[in-house]
Amino acid sequence: MPTLFEAPQKAKSPNRDPGRSHGRSKMRPLTSFAVNPDGVRFETQEEEERVILFLRQHNIVNVPWVVVAIILVFAPSFLIPLLIQNVPFSIPPSYFLVGTLAWYLATVGFILTNFLRWFFNIYIVTNERIVDIDFYYLLFKRFSQAELEKIQDISYSTGGVFATVFNYGEVMVETAGEAPNLEFVAVPRPDIVVETIRSITEELPGSI
Amino acid sequence: MTPSVINAILLTIKTLVLVGLGLYGIFAAIIVRQEQLMATVLEESFEPVLRTLVIVHFAASVGLFLLALFLL
Repeated sequence: MPTLFEAPQKAKSPNRDPGRSHGRSKMRPLTSFAVNPDGVRFETQEEEERVILFLRQHNIVNVPWVVVAIILVFAPSFLIPLLIQNVPFSIPPSYFLVGTLAWYLATVGFILTNFLRWFFNIYIVTNERIVDIDFYYLLFKRFSQAELEKIQDISYSTGGVFATVFNYGEVMVETAGEAPNLEFVAVPRPDIVVETIRSITEELPGSI
Repeated sequence: MTPSVINAILLTIKTLVLVGLGLYGIFAAIIVRQEQLMATVLEESFEPVLRTLVIVHFAASVGLFLLALFLL
């Protein structure tokens, strides 16, 4: 006998805590990719809001300034003998002492500013929104966010030898309305980032 | 090179070093302030270590300025 009426199946109950199914990551100073990180909170985070994905630029982007820092560390051992040979009068030892200390202090300053710029340049995905915190050259910071419900499209791209070898790339998040589009620059494992955000948005209440 | 010329050169170097270290001290203070501001944006376990480093860097810049003032 043909079925004349079939009761509609009970709708799948919305997941009130999307992203919970993923494992937990322990945060370290050089962490650039963490799922459900421990001990991370950010400005404007609400009580029930939970960080699911924590991203920084891939560690490999630090290599250029690290190389410059290594050159700066060893430079005095080449520059000071050169200076002694070429200056037509004798320089007092106190000048060498202060000069060398100042050089190394400036080197530490160079390392600190570059590290801070990388350290505080963060992308966070929570169970409610995506947050992009940018830190430019000490005096300027930018805080952008997009609600997960407003995400229309998400894609990623990788290109170049280093990006292919070390598996990092750009993730583009397009949002509806006047919310800004977000771009994650040089983040590790962009495919997993996209997949994680997609799975979180699918688990949101009201999503099909 | 006469001693007076050498003294003038060393005095110029001393002035430039002191001005440079003074400006560097301001730069180090800005790093401390900025790190404090960013620490409110992101709370993380490594942040206290970073704060200590920037404060030590600032203290070293002040110390070097004073050292240059007395030694040069």
